[in-house]
Amino acid sequence: MTALRAKAAEDFRARGVPHRRVEAWKYSDLKSVIDADQVVSAGAVQWTIEAEGVEMIGAGDGGSAGAMGEASVAFATAGFGLRVAKAGKAKVAFATPGQARVRIVLEPGATLDYIEIAEGDGFQNIGMDVSVGKGAVFTHVRIARKGSGVRIEDVNANVAEDGIYHLHAAHFGGELSRLELKIALNGKNASAHLSGVGVLDAMHADVTTHVIHAKGGTQSTQLFKYVAAGKARAVYQGKITVAEGADGSDSRQTAKALLLDERAEADLKPELEIFADDVKCAHGAAVGDLEADSLFYLRARGIPEDEARGLLIRAFLHEAFDRVRDDLRDALWTAVEEAL
Amino acid sequence: MLEIKNLHAAVDGKEILKGLSLTVNAGEVHAIMGPNGSGKSTLSYVLAGRAGYEITGGSIAYKGEDINALPPEARAAKGVFLAMQYPVEIPGVTTLTFLKTALNAQRRARGEKDLDAMTVLKLVRGKAAELRVSEDMLKRALNVGFSGGEKKRLEILQMSLFEPSLAILDETDSGLDIDALRLVAEGVNALRSPDRAMLVITHYQRLLEYIVPDRIHVLSGGRIIKEGGKELALELEAKGYEQIIKDAA
Repeated sequence: MTALRAKAAEDFRARGVPHRRVEAWKYSDLKSVIDADQVVSAGAVQWTIEAEGVEMIGAGDGGSAGAMGEASVAFATAGFGLRVAKAGKAKVAFATPGQARVRIVLEPGATLDYIEIAEGDGFQNIGMDVSVGKGAVFTHVRIARKGSGVRIEDVNANVAEDGIYHLHAAHFGGELSRLELKIALNGKNASAHLSGVGVLDAMHADVTTHVIHAKGGTQSTQLFKYVAAGKARAVYQGKITVAEGADGSDSRQTAKALLLDERAEADLKPELEIFADDVKCAHGAAVGDLEADSLFYLRARGIPEDEARGLLIRAFLHEAFDRVRDDLRDALWTAVEEAL
Repeated sequence: MLEIKNLHAAVDGKEILKGLSLTVNAGEVHAIMGPNGSGKSTLSYVLAGRAGYEITGGSIAYKGEDINALPPEARAAKGVFLAMQYPVEIPGVTTLTFLKTALNAQRRARGEKDLDAMTVLKLVRGKAAELRVSEDMLKRALNVGFSGGEKKRLEILQMSLFEPSLAILDETDSGLDIDALRLVAEGVNALRSPDRAMLVITHYQRLLEYIVPDRIHVLSGGRIIKEGGKELALELEAKGYEQIIKDAA
């Protein structure tokens, strides 16, 4: 075991499984659904991968966004790495319980489409460490299907000058489901564009992001939309840090939730931490129900209530896919259609 | 076509319509005029079946049938059309998709077969040209970024497409300049037919210069207080609502 892994294990054991009194896990009480032994002895997740234009490398042992990323550093017994020099594609499916580490390296100017599907029940914890080189473009698609278990992905990313991190996520929830990202924009003109939807029926889903504008002239946008029915709980926590001297940074974040049921709940929490002057930061969050005016309009045109509701829900979610490349949108939208 | 007898209706427990009676025969165009708050929009919503608009007394018969218990979509399929004062914007649904969805939903409810996309497109294009609804508007999300005039033109296009037996136009003139008003009025006049009744609801006499009604009813305090032919609009314009209401009292 390397020193890094030993240190991570020691830290995890000292702090234990994160719970609701830990600020970052306030809305996602992991300790209520899993104990430390399950994390330590989770074993290896099994995956399938189809890839082209990539070199397989080791999973490495570093980099995490939060407590569960650290747990994967400490206890994951399997993993893989991908290095791309030019243009690569990879399609990965995680279908079983267990943990894994994933390392992704984009050389300067490289592009990678990384499409991952997470499914199955039980406890699944994936820790990713991503390095986006100068001028490289990483496109990360994550489809997390509905499952009865606990599913977590923790991503630590570093983006160099002119590099881009695109995230398009579609979440369908679990007993507890979380995607946590920490993305550092380390060079001029580096950017992160994150968007996603959650369609939840009595399930929980959490997207927690921390975008760090470490250098000036960096940009980030975020748009997350949730539709929550039954006793579903939708969580979005988006923290943006603009470091000292990172002037000319531009960040926007929006999170919206549509609650279809009185028992459904949404916790949307944007957070700004600004240490620079001359920056543009905008954020907004909104929770609501389907608009009565819109519903009446469609019904008065002859469209039955269920169909009208479906149209309005799709219209609400649609905006989150505006920036998705045409060739990637189908897979995401099909997953959404299956859940509606 | 439409027979309203002693209609009482409430919104949030507050009575707005207080004994309204009105008969409109097929082939006729009737105008309802009245000041703000007189119950004009409530009447249009009650006729279209909007949730929250509760009938507390009286009756509405449409083609001899009591439609009080029918949801809005069922009334639409039976030929009741309400052109709305504020058409809603729906992002993510193109205008053409919406028109096809609505038309086929109405057909299905009547036990007719769906029309395929090509047939609907041809039908819509023919009507769009007359109302100067551009191809671009049909491809854009429903009403999103449309001007006031474009929204109202699209309402009239829908009326033309759905071929209702009873068309209710709620403040169709609001927010229109004179050119847009004329275009919309021409569209409405083209749809006048011996099989169709129209109820034109408006605050101002201006619209009635272009859509000349057979009868005018003045609504105040949830009741019809005065009725007459098309010349009543001019009397209203000259005297104002206040005087007419005083005279009727």
